[in-house]
Amino acid sequence: MKADDCRVWRERIGALVLGQLDDDQRASTEAHLDGCPDCRAEAEALAPVAALLSRADPERLTPAPAPPPYLGDRIARRIAAERRDKRRRRVRLGLGLGGACAAAAAAALVAVVISGSPSAAPSETVAFRALPGDASARATLEPRPWGSTVNVRVRGFRPGTLCEVWLRRRDGTLVAAGSFRYVYDGESDEAELSSALTPADATAIGLRAGPKTFVAPLPAGSAARDAALSPATNKEEDT
Amino acid sequence: MAEGFLTREAGVREAYAAHAGELYGFALRSLEDPGMAEEAVQDTFLRAWRAADRFDPELGSLRTWLFAILRNVIIDLGRARAARPAIGGELPDQGHEPFEDILLNWQVEEALRRIGDQHRRVLVETYLRGRPYAEVASELGVPEGTIKSRVYYGLRALRNALEEMGYEG
Repeated sequence: MKADDCRVWRERIGALVLGQLDDDQRASTEAHLDGCPDCRAEAEALAPVAALLSRADPERLTPAPAPPPYLGDRIARRIAAERRDKRRRRVRLGLGLGGACAAAAAAALVAVVISGSPSAAPSETVAFRALPGDASARATLEPRPWGSTVNVRVRGFRPGTLCEVWLRRRDGTLVAAGSFRYVYDGESDEAELSSALTPADATAIGLRAGPKTFVAPLPAGSAARDAALSPATNKEEDT
Repeated sequence: MAEGFLTREAGVREAYAAHAGELYGFALRSLEDPGMAEEAVQDTFLRAWRAADRFDPELGSLRTWLFAILRNVIIDLGRARAARPAIGGELPDQGHEPFEDILLNWQVEEALRRIGDQHRRVLVETYLRGRPYAEVASELGVPEGTIKSRVYYGLRALRNALEEMGYEG
C-alpha cells in the first residue's frame, strides 16, 4: 500500500496512541495496522512519545526563565582568573599542566554556610548571632598545587564592609587568605582570594567583617582524600 | 566541534550561548531556587572547562556532556543542602522526586516548548487537559478532523524535538 493511501489512517495514529479514539475507530484503525507494516511501524514509533507526554505539566510550559544576563561574563571571568593562576604557577614552577593538575583544580569544594544559629556557631562566632537574619557568608575552597583558591561570597553586610579572611592551620595558627570590601552591585558579589594552605591542611575558615568574626570548621582531611578518588564530582559541604 | 574545543575561552562562550538557557531552565526546575540554579550553571561550565581534555565529541554531544556534569553538580548541591542542619526552618524541603524523573519530565516540557504553537496547543488541550476534540475544535474554529491531524503531526514533532535533545527512547 502506498503512503498516500494511508494518509487518513496515519492521521488517526496520533489519537490512537493517545487513547483518544472511540471503540469503532480504534477497531478499524487497528485492523488497518494489522495489514499495513508502514502504519504499524509509525504507531510503534509514536507510542513511546505518547507515553512520555503525560510527564509534562501543562502549567510549566511557559517559556523557561533565561539565566541572568551577567552569568556568562561571570563564568568567563572565573575561567580567565583560573587560567591566569595556572599560567603563573606554570612559569614559576617550570611545570607543564597535565591531567593531574586539572584534576586537582577540579577537586574539592567546601562550602560553608554561616547563618544565625548557635548550633552552627562555635564560640568564636558569638558576635554573628547579632546579625540580621538575611546576612550570610559562603566560602569555597579549591585546592591548587600552591595552596587554595578561596572564593568568598557574603550577603546582607553593609556595603563597603572590610572583610578579612584567614584559614586556621592544624597547630592553631592563622594564615591570611586576603581581604576584600563587600560591594554588592547586583552582579558579582564573590571575592576570589588565595591562601598557601591547601584545604586539607586547614581546619577552619574565618571571616572578619568589620568588628565581627565568623568561623566555620572544615571537614578534616576529606578534601585531599576525596579529590584523589573522583576529582570532577567531589564536593564536601559542612556547616 | 573539535576536541579541546572547551579549553579555549571562546569555545566556552560558544557553549554557553548554545546551552546555558537550557541548563539554567533545568537547574531552576530541579533546584527551585534562582541563586542555586545560577551557581549550578556556573559550576557546570567551570567543571567542563577544567575537564575539557576529557570531552570526546565522538562519544556524545556537548549538550549531553554538559547535562551529565550539571546532573552531578545538582546532586552535589542537593546532597549538601540535605546534609546541612536545618537552621531556623528556612531550608526548603527537597529531593522527593528522583533526579532522573525530574530530568525526563523537564525534557518533555522543553520539547513541548520547542514544537509549533498549534501542535502544542492540541496536545495540551486534548491530552494533558483531557478536553473533547469537539470542544477544542470549536474553540479554535477548525474542524475536528484538523484537531486529529494536528495531534498526529504534533506527536511527530515532539518525537523529533526529543531526539534533537538527545533522548533515545
